[in-house]
Amino acid sequence: MDRRRFLIRSGGAVGSLILIACGGTSGGSVQQPQPTGAAGKAAQGKTRVVYWSSWGGASGKALQKLVDDFNASQKEIFVENQYQGTYEETAQKLAAALAARQVPDMASMSEVTWNKFYLNGSLQNMTDYFKSANMDPKTYVSSLIEEGTKNGDVWWVPFARSTPLFYYNRDMFKKAGLPDRGPKTWDELREWGKDLMGKGGAKKVFAFTDAKNYNAWHFQGNVWQWGGAYSNEEFDMLIDEGGAVEAGEWLRKFVHEDKMGYMAEDQSIDFGNGICATTQQSTGSLGGIVEAAKFEVGTAMLPEMKKFGCPTGGAGLGIMAAAPDERKQAAFEFIKFLAKPENVTYWSKETGYMPVTNSARESAEMQAYFKENPNFKVAVEQLPKTQPQDSARRLVPNGDQTIGTGLERILANNEPASQVFKGVAQQLESDAQDIKEQVEEKQARRLRTA
Amino acid sequence: MDAAVKTQRELHGCRSPSWQGYASLTFKYALLALTALVFLLPVFWMVSASLKGLQEIYAFPTVWVPSQPKWGNYPDAWNAAPFARFYANTLITTFFGVGLEVVNAALTAYALVFLPFPGKNLIFIVLLAALMIPVQVTILPNYLTIASLGWLNTYQGIILPGASVAFSAFLLRQHFLTLPTEILEAARLEGAGHLRMLWDVVLPLSRPVLVTALLISVVAKWNDFLWPLIVTNRLDMRVLSIGLAYLFDQEGNNQWGIIMAAAVFVVAPVVALFVWTQRHIISGLTAGATKG
Repeated sequence: MDRRRFLIRSGGAVGSLILIACGGTSGGSVQQPQPTGAAGKAAQGKTRVVYWSSWGGASGKALQKLVDDFNASQKEIFVENQYQGTYEETAQKLAAALAARQVPDMASMSEVTWNKFYLNGSLQNMTDYFKSANMDPKTYVSSLIEEGTKNGDVWWVPFARSTPLFYYNRDMFKKAGLPDRGPKTWDELREWGKDLMGKGGAKKVFAFTDAKNYNAWHFQGNVWQWGGAYSNEEFDMLIDEGGAVEAGEWLRKFVHEDKMGYMAEDQSIDFGNGICATTQQSTGSLGGIVEAAKFEVGTAMLPEMKKFGCPTGGAGLGIMAAAPDERKQAAFEFIKFLAKPENVTYWSKETGYMPVTNSARESAEMQAYFKENPNFKVAVEQLPKTQPQDSARRLVPNGDQTIGTGLERILANNEPASQVFKGVAQQLESDAQDIKEQVEEKQARRLRTA
Repeated sequence: MDAAVKTQRELHGCRSPSWQGYASLTFKYALLALTALVFLLPVFWMVSASLKGLQEIYAFPTVWVPSQPKWGNYPDAWNAAPFARFYANTLITTFFGVGLEVVNAALTAYALVFLPFPGKNLIFIVLLAALMIPVQVTILPNYLTIASLGWLNTYQGIILPGASVAFSAFLLRQHFLTLPTEILEAARLEGAGHLRMLWDVVLPLSRPVLVTALLISVVAKWNDFLWPLIVTNRLDMRVLSIGLAYLFDQEGNNQWGIIMAAAVFVVAPVVALFVWTQRHIISGLTAGATKG
């Protein structure tokens, strides 16, 4: 059962569904009924908020506890948490629900999927809610809240955010006689490579991963580190020039000439089994990697090259524009509750997601947790330096896979980066046409109303 | 006499053993074992992983048999989501879904084979065309229909769109075509009506195919994930396949031992059903073979 593969496949279907749904919505000003299903006894006499979430497992339990706490904390609102599958499946359901005019009041949306709902006008502008609730959007870590802010208005608030992180095998580093820290630059890692594969006993220095494991997310950081970009906000593709090509070439040489890097199907497993000495993986995987490893795991900020670069990932929360005002207001109350320091801290500790508010990060409880888990502290310290991904991966349909399969050709087939990325850029450009028009239309509409 | 025995032996393919015979037999068994391995290994892996901790699951070289079986994975999985409720929901949707599908298919196939009416071939071609359409394409129109009927979060909402499946009708039609016309004419002379013909003559003669269609349908309905996920929102209307998804972690931080334990008790009834019904398929097949 390969869930990631399923994810990718369903992701393709999501794209087309969302396009269909766009045609069906009428700007979002029409109020729509909640998805059917009678409210339980607990909701009687209260404003019922239907919340579509995307967390199963331990994270799902932690979320349900927060929802229960909220419902017990006051008498006016009842939040009903309805799990809808992965981020992609939730987006797919949301698109279908919009077309059928049976929307929830709020939903979890990933850093990729929320853009589509923002563009087709399904999301509620939360700026006025922030004002009336006397809450400052700056409560949230600035790089994260800025991602959901467009032209000064907040549409999407951070909740379960993660970033890539550098992992290293501390035992191997010790054996290789290296300092107990991550490399400052990629070139430094390359210098260390000989010792790691010699005295350190590693088969390989660093594991990259493949397209279905989101290598385009990880490579986004590399592209920035080399001073390049996938694209700009106007959808001009930049992946076939400058820093992006240099980064791709560095990877190719590191893999095929130095024989130090390689493409792993799941870098966490290889790292946990001591096949590679270092790798890059989501902060969300920290708990699992530490649990599965038989050695001391070290973490570090991503290595730099010309500068630092690291994308954000994970999901945030959006309120649906089509819900009635009363319920939208109630949904925001719940968002406000989730941003309380003790709740952010609880969620972060239970799930491994980054604490999304400054107050939670500075809280005594979080500081104590950092002491016990220095690896987690590294991830949180890196957070303010992260930035939203380029439009090519965030907005272009299937952009993630187009870039990812290009990378596979560099990592596995030793094809020159300039040649591969030229084709990738052409593909991205032709795939970007529809979304480009949508973005321009949105801007034109905003200018007309302003 | 001797010659006769020999020819009979030859007919049955059991010649007196020679080294070629042994070699070919060994080869056949080796192939058989290989095929069995391909099918059984994942099942073995599922069961063995359901008793392991995370470290043993990820370990390389592979740990085949857990050193200390973690039976606790099973109650952990069962308690991670309301699986009793999911079981009930899956049983209800599978039972009625399969029933409707197979009745529908049998009636359609009967009409397509034994009833003369204009446009029969056209209808069959449309049926074939429906066979080619991927399910994903029909999800949105189906959802809009079900939603406008107010059937989200209901059993009929989960069941009805799957009540007619072109494949089972196609499967049964192809088999009905092979039935000897003499038997059917004899039945008609005896004065049997269409329902009687279907029930007492056509279906008993089609038992292996019918059981096959039934099994395919059960497996499809039991495992269906996307449609029940889309058409239900509430925990109390969810089915087993979605229950499995409840155990997954969004960031890939999965407790595979617990997920595999849940997979074992989710697939167990289908496996049991298969073991129980497979003799019908085999006996049906051989019954056809001896007739010559």
